[in-house]
Amino acid sequence: MPYPTDPLLLSGAWASVILTLMVYSYVLFKETPLFRFAEHTYISASLAISVIVSYGTLEKNAFIPLSKGDLTYLIPVVLGVLLYTLPFRQVRWVSRYPLAFVVGVGTGLAIRGAVHAQMVAQVLAAITLPKAPQPIDWFNFFFSLIAFLTSTSYFIFTREHVGLLKIPTKLGRYMIMLALGSYFGNTILFRMAMLSGRVEEILKVFKIIPWP
Amino acid sequence: MSKNIWSKMAEVDRRVLYWVMFIALAIPFISPIGLPVPVTETTKAVYDKVETLGPKNIALFSIAGGVSAWPEIAPSMVAVMRHLVKREVKIVVWGFFVDQDITLDMILTNVPELKTKYKYGEDWVYMGYIAGAETAVAQLASDVHAVFKADKYGTTIDKLPLMQRVKTAKDIDLVLTVDTGSYILYYIRHWNVGKGVPVAEIGIAMQADMIVYYPVNLVGVMIGVRGGAEYEKLIGRLADGTVRMDAINVSHILFIIAIVLANIGFIMVRRMKK
Repeated sequence: MPYPTDPLLLSGAWASVILTLMVYSYVLFKETPLFRFAEHTYISASLAISVIVSYGTLEKNAFIPLSKGDLTYLIPVVLGVLLYTLPFRQVRWVSRYPLAFVVGVGTGLAIRGAVHAQMVAQVLAAITLPKAPQPIDWFNFFFSLIAFLTSTSYFIFTREHVGLLKIPTKLGRYMIMLALGSYFGNTILFRMAMLSGRVEEILKVFKIIPWP
Repeated sequence: MSKNIWSKMAEVDRRVLYWVMFIALAIPFISPIGLPVPVTETTKAVYDKVETLGPKNIALFSIAGGVSAWPEIAPSMVAVMRHLVKREVKIVVWGFFVDQDITLDMILTNVPELKTKYKYGEDWVYMGYIAGAETAVAQLASDVHAVFKADKYGTTIDKLPLMQRVKTAKDIDLVLTVDTGSYILYYIRHWNVGKGVPVAEIGIAMQADMIVYYPVNLVGVMIGVRGGAEYEKLIGRLADGTVRMDAINVSHILFIIAIVLANIGFIMVRRMKK
C-alpha cells in the first residue's frame, strides 16, 4: 500500500506522531507544556468517545423502548439517575441503593461460575498427572503442585508460621514472589510492545520504512 | 575512578535508557533481523481448534480491548480473523470497548475478504457495543436476542439470517475473546463453565499465565505480539507480528543487559563501601 495521499488519513497519521512525540517528551526530556497538551487532548478525546457511545447505548437500550411504552426500562433508568445523588451530601444515601443493586448482581453472577472455574477446576488441574509425561512434564507437575500447596499455606493466618508450618509458608512466600516477578516481567513485555508500535508508526510517517 | 564507573552503572539516568531503547527498537524495523519465533503449545492449540471448524460452524469474536492495545493484540486479531475466513467459518462480532468500531475497521482493512468473500448478515455480523461487563456476558450466554434487538447498523436481529442461528451460547462453536482485562474470566464463568462452550483468548502479555490458571477451561491463549507472530507462522502469512517480534526481542536483550549492569554496579558499590 502506498504512502497515504488522502488529506484526512495523512493529517491523522501526522497528528498521531506529533502527539506521541509530545507524550514521550516527558520521559526523553522532562515535563513540558507539550506533554500536558497531549495528555489533556488524549483524556478529552477518550472522554468524548465514551460520552457519545454511552449516549447511543442509553438511547438504544432505554430511551427508544421507553418511548414505545415499555415501562420496565424505567427501573434501570431511575436506578442510574439515583447514582448522580453522590455529589450531594444531604441525599448521598440514596445512591447506595443502585450501588447495592449493582454490587449484589455482580457478586451473585461472579460466584455462580467462580466456584468451578477458579477453585474446583484449578485444584483438579493441580493434582492431575501429566498425559504422555516427559521428564520436564513431571518436573512441571511437581513444581506447580508444591507451589500451589506452599503458597496456599502462606495464607493460613489462624496459626503462627512456626514448627511444621515454618518451611512451607516460607517456601510459599518465595513462590508468590516468583509468580509476581513473572507477572511484572510480562508487564514489561506489554509496555515494550506498546513502545514498538509507536516507534513503527513514527518510522512509517517519516517514510523511513514503507507504509503497510 | 573505578568507584565512579560502578556508581554510574548502578544509577544510569532513565532518560539515557529510554533514548537507547527508543533507538534500538527502531533498528529492527529498518533492517529486520529475523530472530526465530518458535510456536508455543498454547497458540498451536488455538490454531488446531480453528482448523476443526468449517462453514457450518459459528465463531464469536468478542472485542474487549481498546485501540491503545493495538501494538500488542492487532497482529493476533488479524491473523485469527484471516484463518477464520480461510476456513469459511461464520463469524459473530461484538464487543465491550467504546472504541471497538475503530478496531473493527482496522480488521476489515487487513482482512478485506470479510467484505468481498463474506456476505454480511449471512456469513458474518457485527452486533456493536454492549455495556454491562460481566452482567452482559452472562445474559448473552442465556439469551442473545434479549440483549441485541438490532446489529450495529440498525438492522433488526430477525432480519439477520446468521443471528437466527445464534440464540444462546450453545449455538457458538468457539469463543475468541480479544482481551486486555477480565473478560476472559467472564466468558470462562458463564460460557465455558455454564454452557460448555470452548473459549480461547487473544490476550496481552500480562495474561500469559492464564492458561496455567485455567488449563481445564481454556482451549488456548495467544500471548501478545508473540502469539500473533506464532499464528502468522502457522497460517503461513507473515505480517506485522513477525516484524514487531524482532523489535521486542531487541528490547528484551537491552533490558537484560541493563538489569545485569545495574546489579553489578550496585553490588560493587556496596562492596566498596564495606
